[in-house]
Amino acid sequence: MDRSQRPRKSRRRTRRLLLAALALLVLAAAAWAIMWRPAIDPQKQVPAFDQATIERGRRVAAVGTCAACHTVDPSRPYAGGRALDTPFGTVYSTNITPDARTGIGSWSEAAFTRALREGVSRDGHLLYPAFPYDHYTRLAQDDIGAMYAWFMTRPALDAPARDNRMTFPFGFRPLVAFWNILYLKREPWRPDPQRSAEWNRGYYLSEALAHCTACHTPRTRLGGTDFSRHLDGGEAEGWYVPALNVHSPSPLPWTREHLAEYLRTGIAPDHAVAGGPMQATVENLRLADPRDVDAIATYIHGYLAQAPARATRASQPGSLPVPQEGDADLARMRAGHAVYVNACARCHEVGREASSGAALPLQKAVALYDPDPRSLVHIVRDGIAPPDGEPARWMPAFGAILDDGQTAALAAYLRRYGAGQPHWADIDNKVRKARQP
Amino acid sequence: MTTYHLRVNGREHAVDTDPDTPLLYVLRNDLGLNGAKFGCGLGQCGACTVTLAGGSVMSCLVPVSVVGARPVGTVEGLGSAQAPGTLQQAFIAEQAAQCGYCIAGMLMRAQNLLAANPKPTDAEIRKHMMPNLCRCGTHMRILRAVRRAADAMGGKGGKA
Amino acid sequence: MRRAPDSPARRRLLAAAGSLTMVFAVGPVWPQDETPLSKGKLPGSLEKAPWLDAWIRIEADNRITVFTGKAELGQGIKTALLQVAADELQVAPAHIVLVTADTARTPNEGYTAGSHSMQDSGTALRHAAAQVRAVLAGLAAKRFGIDAAALSLRDGSIAAPDGRRLTYGELLAGRQLHLRADPSVPVLAPAAHTIVGKALQRVDIPAKVSGGAAYVQDLRLPGMAHGRVVRPPAPGARLLDVDAGAVARLPGVLKVVRDGRFLAVIADGEYRAVKAAAALARGARWDTPATLPRDATPAVMVRALPTRPNPILARGTPGAAGRTLAANFSKPFQLHASIGPSCAVAQLVDGQYTVWTHSQGVYPLRDALAELLGAGKDTIRCIHTEGSGCYGHNAADDVAADAALLARALPGRPVRVQWMREDEHGWEPFGPAMLTAVRATLDAGGRIADWQYDVWSPPHNTRPGKAGNLLAATHLARPFAPDTPTPSPQPEGSGDRNAIPYYVLPNARVVHQFQPGAPLRTSALRSLGAYCNVFSIESFMDELAQAAGADPLAFRLAHLADPRAIETVRSAAQGFGWDKYRKPPRRGRGFAFARYKNLAAFCAIALEVEVARETGMVRITRAVAAVDCGEVVNPDGVRNQIEGGIIQSASWTLLERVRFDERQVLTRDWAQYPILRFNQVPERIEIALLDRPGQPFLGTGEAAQGPTAAAIANAVADACGLRLRDLPLDRARLRAGH
Repeated sequence: MDRSQRPRKSRRRTRRLLLAALALLVLAAAAWAIMWRPAIDPQKQVPAFDQATIERGRRVAAVGTCAACHTVDPSRPYAGGRALDTPFGTVYSTNITPDARTGIGSWSEAAFTRALREGVSRDGHLLYPAFPYDHYTRLAQDDIGAMYAWFMTRPALDAPARDNRMTFPFGFRPLVAFWNILYLKREPWRPDPQRSAEWNRGYYLSEALAHCTACHTPRTRLGGTDFSRHLDGGEAEGWYVPALNVHSPSPLPWTREHLAEYLRTGIAPDHAVAGGPMQATVENLRLADPRDVDAIATYIHGYLAQAPARATRASQPGSLPVPQEGDADLARMRAGHAVYVNACARCHEVGREASSGAALPLQKAVALYDPDPRSLVHIVRDGIAPPDGEPARWMPAFGAILDDGQTAALAAYLRRYGAGQPHWADIDNKVRKARQP
Repeated sequence: MTTYHLRVNGREHAVDTDPDTPLLYVLRNDLGLNGAKFGCGLGQCGACTVTLAGGSVMSCLVPVSVVGARPVGTVEGLGSAQAPGTLQQAFIAEQAAQCGYCIAGMLMRAQNLLAANPKPTDAEIRKHMMPNLCRCGTHMRILRAVRRAADAMGGKGGKA
Repeated sequence: MRRAPDSPARRRLLAAAGSLTMVFAVGPVWPQDETPLSKGKLPGSLEKAPWLDAWIRIEADNRITVFTGKAELGQGIKTALLQVAADELQVAPAHIVLVTADTARTPNEGYTAGSHSMQDSGTALRHAAAQVRAVLAGLAAKRFGIDAAALSLRDGSIAAPDGRRLTYGELLAGRQLHLRADPSVPVLAPAAHTIVGKALQRVDIPAKVSGGAAYVQDLRLPGMAHGRVVRPPAPGARLLDVDAGAVARLPGVLKVVRDGRFLAVIADGEYRAVKAAAALARGARWDTPATLPRDATPAVMVRALPTRPNPILARGTPGAAGRTLAANFSKPFQLHASIGPSCAVAQLVDGQYTVWTHSQGVYPLRDALAELLGAGKDTIRCIHTEGSGCYGHNAADDVAADAALLARALPGRPVRVQWMREDEHGWEPFGPAMLTAVRATLDAGGRIADWQYDVWSPPHNTRPGKAGNLLAATHLARPFAPDTPTPSPQPEGSGDRNAIPYYVLPNARVVHQFQPGAPLRTSALRSLGAYCNVFSIESFMDELAQAAGADPLAFRLAHLADPRAIETVRSAAQGFGWDKYRKPPRRGRGFAFARYKNLAAFCAIALEVEVARETGMVRITRAVAAVDCGEVVNPDGVRNQIEGGIIQSASWTLLERVRFDERQVLTRDWAQYPILRFNQVPERIEIALLDRPGQPFLGTGEAAQGPTAAAIANAVADACGLRLRDLPLDRARLRAGH
């Protein structure tokens, strides 16, 4: 057969192949256009800033809790190096001091702004959304400018970024561009005209700056914030993060004042103590303008107050009860009760003496009312220690004292006889996993 | 009162005591071991540090009833005044003590480090020893003693 | 007579023997009657205990026991005294058993405090041992019938050239040297020392690293019971009622004691006592009035206390012309915070009390207990048994009183009382809050032309002697009143210790604003007023230097005349590289100098800090110290004390503050009262010792406290421009900037 006799089918097929190739090319070009971002020229000279702007930037950064991720060693502020475990791998925070070589010393304000609003580094590479730019994107420009002034006037520290350890294929940064399409809403923050100025201030600070929902709202499979479930609880660094809305597990109602005090000091007396990742948050909020913290409390409390009042054991003072004879899991409950009585009650029931700082009676502990035991296990394993050289409450670590079985028994006992809540499923595995260092 | 069977420094002991008695008191009063000391009873100072299944614990926080079969190690297990072990020799050579009250706890805390990490850097030693307090200010000598013991045990870690 | 070969040992003997010829010539050497042989002050504590056999006893089997009224506090004094005695007696230190402070056995040397131990006891032992050696030589010379110059001493025996040898014990044949001390007996020349000046290993360390019984906390006596005291929640609290009956029925409880506000429980097991005490505390109801000034800063609080001005220096004339600067400085109440809370064991048997205690003064304690118990002094024996470091007047005496009272409640059985951490933090006598005000005028040449200094301070000495200075005594149904403190005279001083600068100041006035009382009990904390006074003076010297446009070092040297002070200052500066220093970013250097009490050890410190203003973190990267403490007995011991002093002072300066509300003390554990941990200890410490053989021993244990504080403050000012005058320089203050 010669070419002029080729059937129409094969010509159509060839055309289709060509079209497909063209489409792929267009897609690739589109993808490249989505994933690629230009570099912004390095800035040779750092501009001057006035004291008032710098101080404002300090307060903004405090509410933004930047140091929680970017300060590891308190004698080297903002030098980065903190490991953040995510479902996609381990990300290390970077050096945001104005060091020219290893920090942001050559970043212009435009570059800094782009990083906060779009998650793009000065040289064009995409930042992982472990850095909550999907929140900071809604910041007012003068807050961003103030933060820029604050960071650019910090002492420059030499601290090269550590290599991240991402699971395949998330090590390929340009993929983040697709995450941004799904989850980065580039719209400015707007106040709610129905609400008070104080509430709106809290709304702005919580959503755009303190990024509470980054932990306190569940995430989708792809790691984006699921805004349809605002403040419904989430997780961070292996901890369960409680819901702050109608689904709040807190066994006692929160007043706005309680919440403000908790955010400023880490303690709501006779109610809660900040543990785990919340400790770093509180350490930062402590340095913020107290009126800003109050505003955040007002905003969050608006949701927290919607949790229905319920009768819990938290309002029943006194010793935790002995396991009952009819308990289906009696052996484990007795084992857990023994651990509680011998290791915990000494501080958690009555304190060692009238004047030493007594620990929280556990029927009030939020961790017992969480849907899973992770936070409780972390607290028992690691304790809650004060920041270096600063006075605070101190719960010691029991990780090397209690083994897996003892911790699981304790957790099961406290869940039932401390909180009076239904048992945590698969507790042995959950405890074992949570106890991994 | 209940009878507990404890394995301390490789030897079995039977002790009659209340289940909530901290291991610290059992070691000192029932077994006559002086090494672990009462400093605070709150797990904040480390004077009572011993090892439990190789892990470093504050014995003032360990109720005797949770120990079970897990082996307990105290400073007496590292050697004696007549025949001191490597770590103890290092502390003697560096004269790493003033009042000396914290030192047994320091030795056990260091023991836990060197067992897991025979080549610690100076920074790692400092960080590891943080749970233990010394009020006399013997820290520099303690660090030198741990470094000396690490080097003697064969590792040669250096400055970070 | 054939001339014996020359040797240093012989020369020493000749010298000693020659001077005693007069003694031997008048007849039997001992026992001596009571008439003093020579007039004049005896060296050190010999003045209080002039008989040789109070200090040194040699048995027939050649066992040598040396007695000192001083106590081992962890400062290595036992080892140092052994070195002194062994050198003069020409024996190995291991040959000597040293007995420390025991009211039944040792001389009364008052308190082991104020860095006096080497000056008092070391000096006494040196002279006593030298004299014993001379007596023994004289006896041997007589026994061998040869010239003392021919003898040689070795290993506790004396030999003649022909080989005849007698041990010290054989020479004395069981008799003790009841001889009066003779200050004219020469001691070894410095060149002849073989043991003093060497870094002898501490005799107590091997037991401490291997779990040997080393502390009063390790004491175990047959039938020993355990006591715990339940303290009131606050100094002013009143006991309304207590349910003692329920506690008495708890397992193991032997007795519940109640006497006024003094509440205690004794049990057969230690943890049972702890639990019973907690139950007793829960069963007690107190009325706790608001008596404390909750929101006052230390400066404001101290300024408001009743004061008795006591001028201690008035030199030259005031009113010099020039540029005047002024500043106020303050420190808060601070804790001794001993790592091992205080402990004592006491037993009453057949009307005799024995108390094992780590008190710094067993004799004054005995007197106080006698008054407390209404017993004769001769019925009470206090034996010093080492505790953890006390750093001054901590709760050691108080717990001894607790134990004695409980021993009285349970006669026949030893009772061990161990304070809990909250007890120690809440009830030990605190280092007082202080306020200072300094004002100086610089003349046209940049020299200090006028100096005015005032220091306000509650008491630094409420040690027992009187029962009312024991805590329990003030809680009894018929309480004892605390003693009324009085200021100690200069140069020792109390709140005014080191208030007079060591600099040459032609016109200067210093006033000790003595305050007899404070809302919280206060007493001696290592270096007493020197910590705050040197902090103030040396910080202000930097401010003056800056105003004069002078280098801080050059400014100080321009005002020093004592060559030893100048050499100490230069040595620290050189060790630090002061002249070559180039300031790295975030870092700064600071210098400070003082001579402790203006008569004890010289100490200069140069150090570098790194400051992070955002977090308030201060890190000491390097500390270089130079110390002149006269003749050095044990160089390693001195280094240990200075290093320790630097680190402890850094902790006080950077972290420590007792906090209280209107009712009670809040800093009850290490969480509330953090002290320096390994992460904040200096990166490097270097110490240069300026040894002065032949010079008197100078007290060293407290010499570093003041200079360290000022050096840190000066370095912080250099690093970040922040001149902080109120201690502590904690993270909150560094962040806030004031």
